[in-house]
Amino acid sequence: MGALLSVEGLCFGYRKKQVLHEISFRVEKGAICGLLGPNASGKSTLLKCINGVLSTHRGEIRVAGKSIGGMSRQEVARLMAVVPQQMTLAFGFTALQMVVMGKAAMLGRLSLPSGKDRSDAQGALDELGVGALANRTFNELSGGERQLVLLARAIFQDTSILLLDEPTSHLDFRNQFMIMDLVREMTRTKGLTTLVSLHDPNLAARYCDQLVVLKEGRLHREGPLDKVFERETISELYGMEVVLHRPKGGPVAVFPLHGTTVL
Amino acid sequence: MKDHKLAFVVAIILLAVSSAISLILGRYWIDIGTLRDVVLSAITGQDGGQSLATPGLVLWSVRLPRVLVAIMVGAALSVSGAVFQGLFRNPLVSPGILGVTSGASFGATLAIFTAGNSLLAIEGSAFLWGLIAVTITYQIGRRSGNSVTSLVLSGVIVSALFTAGVSFLKFKADPYQHLPAMVFWSMGSFNSIVWGDAVRVLVIITIGLTVVYLFRWWLNPIALGDEDAMTLGIDVPKARLIYIFIGTLVVAASVSACGNIGWVGLVVPHMARIIVGADHDALIPFTALLGGIFMLTMDTLARALPGGEIPVGVLTALIGAPFFAYLLMTNERRGGWQN
Repeated sequence: MGALLSVEGLCFGYRKKQVLHEISFRVEKGAICGLLGPNASGKSTLLKCINGVLSTHRGEIRVAGKSIGGMSRQEVARLMAVVPQQMTLAFGFTALQMVVMGKAAMLGRLSLPSGKDRSDAQGALDELGVGALANRTFNELSGGERQLVLLARAIFQDTSILLLDEPTSHLDFRNQFMIMDLVREMTRTKGLTTLVSLHDPNLAARYCDQLVVLKEGRLHREGPLDKVFERETISELYGMEVVLHRPKGGPVAVFPLHGTTVL
Repeated sequence: MKDHKLAFVVAIILLAVSSAISLILGRYWIDIGTLRDVVLSAITGQDGGQSLATPGLVLWSVRLPRVLVAIMVGAALSVSGAVFQGLFRNPLVSPGILGVTSGASFGATLAIFTAGNSLLAIEGSAFLWGLIAVTITYQIGRRSGNSVTSLVLSGVIVSALFTAGVSFLKFKADPYQHLPAMVFWSMGSFNSIVWGDAVRVLVIITIGLTVVYLFRWWLNPIALGDEDAMTLGIDVPKARLIYIFIGTLVVAASVSACGNIGWVGLVVPHMARIIVGADHDALIPFTALLGGIFMLTMDTLARALPGGEIPVGVLTALIGAPFFAYLLMTNERRGGWQN
């Protein structure tokens, strides 16, 4: 297995403020890579640079060795699908209409989604267990249901790379695991390569194969989960004392030691 | 579109019925039988005799161009409203609110002021200034928070500027030569439509609406927001340019044909959305039909109501404003508008 997605020397900034400094890492084919970091560490910005929504100042993004630098929006959208952060729509699109939009990357400019596209989109909703929501208005759905619809849309986009921007924020305890379970299942069954930014290091420890850790716009650490997920790294990252608990056979879990004591 | 067959069939029947009514009604009354005879004699090429001469003239030279232009202008204003709403993912905008209409009116007035009554100059200038107005509105809105509210407010600013420009030109205009023509624009009316102008306006609007119709589905992902649309594979800046260009073109053609008619572009897309939903696949053609019916009905009322013809812009505001008030008040219940 080689790296499917590689980021080399990526720099990005807004006007005067440099946000990302020389970020380089590789995501192995078939892996779930977690993007960890405190608020404002540049996680969302990095994801936007990778999918080309923000144009990087320096550095290169490669998919299977090919630079996406000169690609059109549509070509990039055939390689990677994005599950955005919690969104609310200005219009009353239904869940099914939302999923069908995943087809945009494949369509000719003068074509419309066909009846088959619609039934395939319904299939994507069914696969995630939310087929019954197809004709409900997206804005009426709960946070968890919306994330599932967006995940279905990304699956329907039929790419090899899946990018998720904090898919669990705004979700209740149960729904966080439900979404991540499905992300893992989809990654495995569809042979995807997934990069997911997460707030909660415990979710990263539970679901990710490898980690990219950002701090203040710089790459703090990166590598396989068991190498990177250490007490010192997490403590430094969030600026608080933590302990790791490794139950037999279960994923490692992290707890704050003295509340939120700042080091 | 297939899911809404009934709505489309009903709308097409309504359009046909309102066209027939509009052809019959007016100060010169033509009954259904005469209408049929005139149409038949035109189709078969036979001379209908002396009794059909006057109704034939009224129908072909006066009412038919007016009916066609009213339908197409209604469709153009409504569709461009739907396009702008999707493009700026903002259900509160319309060509009027974004300043396109006042920009185009300013352009038309400026052309009358400087070039007299050349329709080509009026159309060109209306288009150019409409485009300038929407660009300024968009830029101010983007630099002041890029929200629903900031875009609407920036449209208010731009509209006020161009309306002031129109007033200034009126003030400076020759009261005998140019002023009457300028006043006509600001009211909005179909009563001076003749075939020569009608054909040009119909051709521009038909081309514009055809382009929007062909690209209609792409407004769905664009209406989700720039970033999301880009991740779905859409070249948003390029798409935006095309839609703004076409939307402004059909509005400018409408404004130069019949002046400033408000509320249609704001209200009709909402009515259409309530009936066929948000998917632009069905929304765009249905908005066009509904806009045609709405405008034609308003124009028929404007000239058939007792007490002499009133400017159709007055009527569209009388119906449009209360309907929009109703939409505002029931907005929460229908899912709400987001900032």
